[in-house]
Amino acid sequence: MNGAGKKHTLRFDPRTELLLLVLANIVAFTQHDLWVEITWVVFLLLLIAACGCGKSAGKLAIAFGICLALQYYVFPNGSKILASSFTILVSYARKVFPCLIVGTMVLQKTPVRELMVALRKWHIPQGLIIPLSVTVRYFPALKEETGYIRDAMKLRNIHGVQKIECILVPTMISATTTAEELSAAAVTRGIENPAPKTSMIEMKFGMQDFLCLAAGAVFCVISITVG
Amino acid sequence: MIQIQDVSFEYEKEQGTLSHIALNIQQGECVVLTGESGCGKTTVTKLINGLIPHFVEGGTLSGRAIVNGMEVPKTEMYRLAEQVGSVFQNPKSQFFNIDSDSEITFGLENAGVEPKKIKERYEATVSALKIQSLLGRNIFSMSGGEKQSLAFASVYAMNPSIFVLDEPTANLDADAIDTLRQQIIQIKKEGRTVVIAEHRLYFLMDLIDRAIFIQKGKIVQIFSRDEFRNLSDEQRIRMGLRSLVHPVLELPPADPPGAQKGLSVENLSCAFDKQPVFGGLGFSAKRGEVLGIVGHNGAGKTTLTRCLCGLLKEVDGTVRLDGQALKAKQRNKASFCVMQDVNHQLFSDSVWNECELAQPDCPPERIKEILRSFDLLDFKDRHPMALSGGQKQRLAVATAILSDKDVLVFDEPTSGLDYHRMLEVSSMIHKLNGENKVIIIVSHDFEFLGRTCDKIFDMEGCSKETPCGCNWRA
Repeated sequence: MNGAGKKHTLRFDPRTELLLLVLANIVAFTQHDLWVEITWVVFLLLLIAACGCGKSAGKLAIAFGICLALQYYVFPNGSKILASSFTILVSYARKVFPCLIVGTMVLQKTPVRELMVALRKWHIPQGLIIPLSVTVRYFPALKEETGYIRDAMKLRNIHGVQKIECILVPTMISATTTAEELSAAAVTRGIENPAPKTSMIEMKFGMQDFLCLAAGAVFCVISITVG
Repeated sequence: MIQIQDVSFEYEKEQGTLSHIALNIQQGECVVLTGESGCGKTTVTKLINGLIPHFVEGGTLSGRAIVNGMEVPKTEMYRLAEQVGSVFQNPKSQFFNIDSDSEITFGLENAGVEPKKIKERYEATVSALKIQSLLGRNIFSMSGGEKQSLAFASVYAMNPSIFVLDEPTANLDADAIDTLRQQIIQIKKEGRTVVIAEHRLYFLMDLIDRAIFIQKGKIVQIFSRDEFRNLSDEQRIRMGLRSLVHPVLELPPADPPGAQKGLSVENLSCAFDKQPVFGGLGFSAKRGEVLGIVGHNGAGKTTLTRCLCGLLKEVDGTVRLDGQALKAKQRNKASFCVMQDVNHQLFSDSVWNECELAQPDCPPERIKEILRSFDLLDFKDRHPMALSGGQKQRLAVATAILSDKDVLVFDEPTSGLDYHRMLEVSSMIHKLNGENKVIIIVSHDFEFLGRTCDKIFDMEGCSKETPCGCNWRA
């Protein structure tokens, strides 16, 4: 995550990534041509691999391949029951892939604050951005806390259903105190300041952003017209 | 700079009432507010950074508080935030971002400072506080000390003229305290005003201009630096204050491994996420004896604790109890850890049910007896979360005794405790001695360790190549 590492891989403006997510959705739900879909998926996979998510791209590619194989090889040749019960599931799973791929890139490669800056640039109200960023901030904190609580339960020999009941009290307690302390820290750093927020990160659309969005738009048009 | 004139404040629920406080703090002054827990020193800091009355709900405030010419109750929080920077006690919960760089610039971005200036402040902060090692990091991968250092940096970046620190060392070890000390020296040099509420005093003795002693919501006495330094031990203890000099540990070292009655740790190595944490650890902890374990940040104290309690498997080595080698699962049955945040380990809706949960088939007389010995019987119907910190800790220990655990490990049992509360923990542990348990305390509170332990084991310098306590084989 350091500055030096970033230069070696392709990087997009967070806005491009968000737009790409929208395009991925449109393409996924308008097209009905298998080859358009495959090219679109391959394009996105190559894209995120170039951004440094090679490992995830590989995993997703394999998963996509399995879906295709199931649908076009296993189901037609296998038993009827198998086919009729799983065809819908698999074909919908396949549809989600473009979104999944872009989503992976957003989650792995975009710092929260860049996402926030992007949303601000689009004039999304602050009242929506702050809760969103707190939520993103809160999950890892909660994960850390539940780790301790799980340890504590192991030491007390709490098992089975009791576990679910027992994790609630300490989790709630720690969640409330954490939330309160977090907000105290935030107000003493001036989060309520009405001044328009700025950012140290300069955000500009580069060549790669335009190219990528153009490619996305082309796919969109093709999928709508062909589909 | 800071004028507090005849201020009284009462919380709706919490303790920490103030009555008729009057205090003037000059520009560039460094002042420590001290006194027992709940005396109101934190309340004074909230008066300065505006959390009272803007953030704390309810409560009644009278009198005037003026900071840099601004009437605190009449000034918006974000205006105060530009002048007053606050660092809090808990390093875990004062971050708004997940990566360190965002955190440093967070305050400036809120204030709408132009990007070029933000960049300048960011760079100035990094070089003044020497925090290069913290840059570009995920906050969840940082130690408590690093987090506190980052919190300080993100406040410093906002360039406030006043710093308010509320028990900043409560969760820090000696190294991290020293880092904080260097940071305070830096802001003092720059002529900023510093107000610190603290129990730990030794690291501040040559930094402060005045010490303000608060008791039950009143300023009882204001000392100059020299007056404060010259307090006799007797006076200090009467005031309930922690040691004014860096406490030195003078305890005999832990016995070498091989104890027949108690815990014997032999050539133990542990790893976390496949990264080796320590290797070649060896010592004994006899029953009825209290062993303290110390070690610097990152020496692996937490890992050792988790390993001894069977929450983590060892990579190499053996842990024996009364001569019998125990696997992780067996250790998990035999031992208990009183965690630093005891809130994590109380699960039930009443003190009594908590005890029954610990040992479902335990006769009520036994529970009564244990609760009485921990001064908890009067509270048996209370919700555990409604207890005080000390009571919670005793309840956790009571559950361990009830479930017949033989090894009790205390993880930082005195973080953030004042002198008297520290003594209470110490005497509770001494009482446990009679139960013939193995008691291990992992802590960086030397004052407490010195009073409580019989022997000490230092994790420093143990490795696979040069195991600790290796001479026991000879």
